Amino acid sequence: MGKELMRSPLGRALGLGSAKHGVEQWRAERVTAIALVPLTVWFAAASVVHMNSDYATAIAWLRTPLAATLMVLLLTALFCHTALGLQVVIEDYVHSGLKVPLLVAMRFGCFALTVAGILAEMRICSGV
Amino acid sequence: MASSTPQRMRPLSPHIQIYRPQLTSVLSIANRITGVVLSFCAVALVVWLISVAAGPKAYSTIHGFIRSWFGQILLLGCTYSFFLHLCGGIRHLAWDAVYGFELRAIYTSGWTVVVTSAALTLITWTACMRFAR
Amino acid sequence: MIIRSADEVPRTTLLKRFPIPRNLGVSPGSRIAKGRRWPAPVGAGRVKAFEVYRYDADSEANPRLDTFEVDLDDCGPMVLDALIWIKNKVDSTLTFRRSCREGICGSCAMNINGTNWLACTRFISDLASPATIYPLANMRIIKDLVPDLTHVFAQYSLIEPWLRTKTPEPEKERLQSPEERRTLDGYYECILCFCCTSGCPSHWWNADRFLGPAVLLQAWRWLADSRDEATGERLDNLEDPYRLYRCHTILNCTRTCPKGLNPGKAIANIKKMLIERRT
Repeated sequence: MGKELMRSPLGRALGLGSAKHGVEQWRAERVTAIALVPLTVWFAAASVVHMNSDYATAIAWLRTPLAATLMVLLLTALFCHTALGLQVVIEDYVHSGLKVPLLVAMRFGCFALTVAGILAEMRICSGV
Repeated sequence: MASSTPQRMRPLSPHIQIYRPQLTSVLSIANRITGVVLSFCAVALVVWLISVAAGPKAYSTIHGFIRSWFGQILLLGCTYSFFLHLCGGIRHLAWDAVYGFELRAIYTSGWTVVVTSAALTLITWTACMRFAR
Repeated sequence: MIIRSADEVPRTTLLKRFPIPRNLGVSPGSRIAKGRRWPAPVGAGRVKAFEVYRYDADSEANPRLDTFEVDLDDCGPMVLDALIWIKNKVDSTLTFRRSCREGICGSCAMNINGTNWLACTRFISDLASPATIYPLANMRIIKDLVPDLTHVFAQYSLIEPWLRTKTPEPEKERLQSPEERRTLDGYYECILCFCCTSGCPSHWWNADRFLGPAVLLQAWRWLADSRDEATGERLDNLEDPYRLYRCHTILNCTRTCPKGLNPGKAIANIKKMLIERRT
């Protein structure tokens, strides 16, 4: 606001104009949320069942085709939803020049974690 | 308005310092806080998966941490966060379908979320106790 | 516990304010100092204390919180009556906006006991003791309880709140069926008091770019109007990560509207329309 002292109130409110996009992000956050409801409930239930199993049982469970597929789906949907959610949080609270680097770093982190998780699952499936 | 002294900025009236916390704003910030907590849980999930892939030694280290008292407290917090965010998220999805916007429905669904998430956390943990035996 | 309509004053208070440091993020010029106490007149029967935010631009002082003891037997039942009593009998420099005194002009919108409402429609008997009167939250203050509404009105003008048509003017009216007219009910009644916008946490953090519930409710009013022919352009104007999508359905707006309107629902309708035009 400090550098726009002479701009009219309407000019200041208009800013740079409407970005004309934003629906896709909003929709993706909701679609991933819908996908996550069954996936996270499955994972929570499975964790409760397997919480005291030893290494062999755990890895046998993760090697089953169903668990492997659902795990990969869970990782993708989870990090997609996380990235969108955290983007909104950063946009809300960070207004300095730190905003864009933080958004980029967060996105890279989520992508890297998705890849790491999927690769770990593939290593489990292919026999560690 | 010409004046010899520079005009100072008008003060900003207090907002979060004095605004009454209501079910609407409290549940909303709780949904956000639990979301951020769950993003850390997502990182933990990947760490756990990598530990399983790394072999029995890494797995037992992680498992040992989870079973420690500190790990159990964290796990309880994560479970509650998960259920609160899940129930709150379903409430949000209903709103996105433009359903449940009357003030009475907002408050009923709000209290339902609070009670359901606490109940689900309790159920999950008692189930865990049973499986622990 | 279950609030049925916005004018219900909650009977129990679990938490009076969010547990954060009082001056966290508050610029030095906005910090509120302790003010003076104005005792009730001698012989007053029922007395209630009102803590009122004061700010005088002519002095160099910070804003302060004065406490006025109001004689309830000498003034009317509404908070606005108490403010007028204070101005008449105690401190004539107390400044606030007021006009209709019946809840239709929107001038006396302020933060009473933590929630935004119109002073003329809030009963004194519904308030805790001491009652706290602050101006509308997150607004630049001109004096005492008078906020600077220039920016929010500028945001209102940018949604172009008038009928935009391309079809040439008919001989008589532009026709609209009763059902089509009913879609405007609950939206045209907005008195632009800005209680909702001022109570929206998203608007607190992003006031410069987020339009806020009042403006978005009016935007919906024009989107829903069957006679309007610029729906596409209006939606283009709104589809922005900041202008519209800072709304996270917090719903403080619906909770606080003194006219019982539902800005949260209006915004959800806008978001739905934006999805529909892509599906």
